Amino acid sequence: MTGRGAVRVRPIQVGGEPEDGGLVVDPDDTGARVEWLDREHAILAEEPSAGARPVSVRTRLMIGPARRRPDDGVMVREVVVDGWRVEVEVEAEGRAVLRDRVRRGLPARGSSGTIEIRADLPGRVSSLLVGPGDHVVAGQPLVVIEAMKMLNELRAPRDGQVERAAVQVNQAVELGDLLVVLQ
Amino acid sequence: MTPDGRPFRRVLIANRGEIAVRIIRACRELGIETVAVFSDADRHAGHVRAADRAIRIGPAAAAESYLAIDAILGAALESGADAVHPGYGFLAERPAFAAAVESAGLVFVGPDSRTIAAVGDKLAARRLARSVGVPVVPGTLEPASVKDVEQLAAVVAAADQTGYPLLVKATAGGGGRGMRRVAGRDDLQAALAAAAAEAQAAFGDGAVYLEREIRPARHIEVQLFGDAAGRVVAIGERDCSIQRRHQKLIEEAPAPGLSERNRAELHELATRVAVAAGLRNAATAEFLFDRDGAFWFLEVNARLQVEHGVTELVSGVDIVHEQLWLAAGAPLSAAALAAAERANRPAGHAIEVRISLEDPARSFRPLAGRVGRFALAAGPGIRVDTAIEAGERIPPDYDPLIAKLLVHAPDRAGAIERLARALDETEIGGVQTTLPFHRFVAGNAAFRAGHLSTDFVADHWNGPASRAEAVRRALLAAGLAAFEPEPADGHPRGPDEGAPAQQGGTSTPGTMELQSAWRSDGRATATDRWPR
Repeated sequence: MTGRGAVRVRPIQVGGEPEDGGLVVDPDDTGARVEWLDREHAILAEEPSAGARPVSVRTRLMIGPARRRPDDGVMVREVVVDGWRVEVEVEAEGRAVLRDRVRRGLPARGSSGTIEIRADLPGRVSSLLVGPGDHVVAGQPLVVIEAMKMLNELRAPRDGQVERAAVQVNQAVELGDLLVVLQ
Repeated sequence: MTPDGRPFRRVLIANRGEIAVRIIRACRELGIETVAVFSDADRHAGHVRAADRAIRIGPAAAAESYLAIDAILGAALESGADAVHPGYGFLAERPAFAAAVESAGLVFVGPDSRTIAAVGDKLAARRLARSVGVPVVPGTLEPASVKDVEQLAAVVAAADQTGYPLLVKATAGGGGRGMRRVAGRDDLQAALAAAAAEAQAAFGDGAVYLEREIRPARHIEVQLFGDAAGRVVAIGERDCSIQRRHQKLIEEAPAPGLSERNRAELHELATRVAVAAGLRNAATAEFLFDRDGAFWFLEVNARLQVEHGVTELVSGVDIVHEQLWLAAGAPLSAAALAAAERANRPAGHAIEVRISLEDPARSFRPLAGRVGRFALAAGPGIRVDTAIEAGERIPPDYDPLIAKLLVHAPDRAGAIERLARALDETEIGGVQTTLPFHRFVAGNAAFRAGHLSTDFVADHWNGPASRAEAVRRALLAAGLAAFEPEPADGHPRGPDEGAPAQQGGTSTPGTMELQSAWRSDGRATATDRWPR
């Protein structure tokens, strides 16, 4: 990142999508700074702020190498704080605004009106409870994923019709894999 | 025993992960050759690398590999092993497996199949304990099928007698599956039906029984050994109260706050049950310890426990060595007998935390993935049992435990400080682990004061809030880091390079130093002392 100006930082969720909002960081206006200890570790030093933080706070973090995401060139990196692992994308604020506008202008991912049900944990498909053409109601279980001997149901977020199932019973699935498409 | 004085010549380890490596280490120390078994998901796993030889036993699914008795027995016979160690989980407590090993003419490193059968049935174990006068948690002693109208009526009557709140438990259950809490009579029927259905689905057996809920309670268990001559000893107890979903997260030995009399009573109760069960080899008897100081028998685990290491650190007995010698027909070792003598007056304290791939912000939901950075603690009083390395993929097919971090110190306060230090040194990237929870516990006042209870997680841990604060700091740091080029080489900057170290020395009054900043703080302090 060259030149000063604000960046927008967002945590990346399960399935690779950034969470909404995130944090806009202006280095001249945060009351905080980063001090590198070595290439992978830094201290986040936060100055006292009215109300929330009466004293300054120093946090040691692990910050992984910055990578460019191949599909859109956005910088992503891993940060580990107190054992919590957070994957983040960092983008110049102006560019983030543009990209948001583009994203909002397009139909929802997966073309108009469809909902993609994705695996929110890795495991094996233990049962597929619906097939193409089935009408489902909100809350109806669609797929059961077995992970660590526990059965986890994935349910329909709203009423709809099953367009297709993207997996088969017994198939291993990773976090974020497409399972079922609803119309 | 072999002619040259080893317990066995060659042992097959019917397990995977850290426990398989733990057993392989013990075998190597005793001069025993080791044979590992592996599924397709584990072809390059740590236990395969550690063993003298490794044999494929099937595809990733545990049912077709680590639970496949025929495949494992075939590997044992083919490799010329003279004994089989089952570890924990998988087949460790299946009487059929122990019996199959025995009838193939090999030695099963564990209690014999009759003992496993006798205590593996939780209700049989309850009846056994009661028959020798050991207090069992009040409730029913016979399995009941909810589908049978007469049995259902009997259970309902027994529930009223037991009193509420109570727990409906699956006869074949474990790990909290097939278990329901019943607050009052109105909820009983629904809970019975739900528990039976879950038990049927999980274990193929819908039978249930009742136990009064003892709460608040601590979960305390006793490490036992028995030899072929029928001698049984207890070498100490462990407190395993800090659990989620009825699975342990943190264990320590000895159990804090017990008096010498408490310990004597507990160890005697446990020994009595083990004698009645005809224990040979190692087992653990689990009890609940209530607020009034009474112990209530829960169950016997006829196997090596995940948390056996804390007892090893405090007692000085290598439990896996002892298991191997006992299985070979040796009498209880001098070390075990000496440890039993001292068990009521333990010296030293050990704590273990289980580092698992789980999301502590989402009810400790199990995860899988590829481990990135994997830096473990070291130094005085630290033991780490793990089978993985940086860059290794953790398959979703098995238990998400990746490492056990154990600390040992002269007393509990020292052990907790050492744990906090060790957790600061531990860094795992690429995957989310239980480390945030462990870090929280190490700094928690209730834990430090020894206020342990099986409700600890629910009472004290707010995962989502902890994560939200970590995410806020991660975002802020990543944003600021974009403007602050990182140092070009991998070494920490020296004090003469200026800015960071001097900025780090801002220990003005009113400054709070978070624990996670200790390293920079220490360095800044050192810099201040350095002659300039």
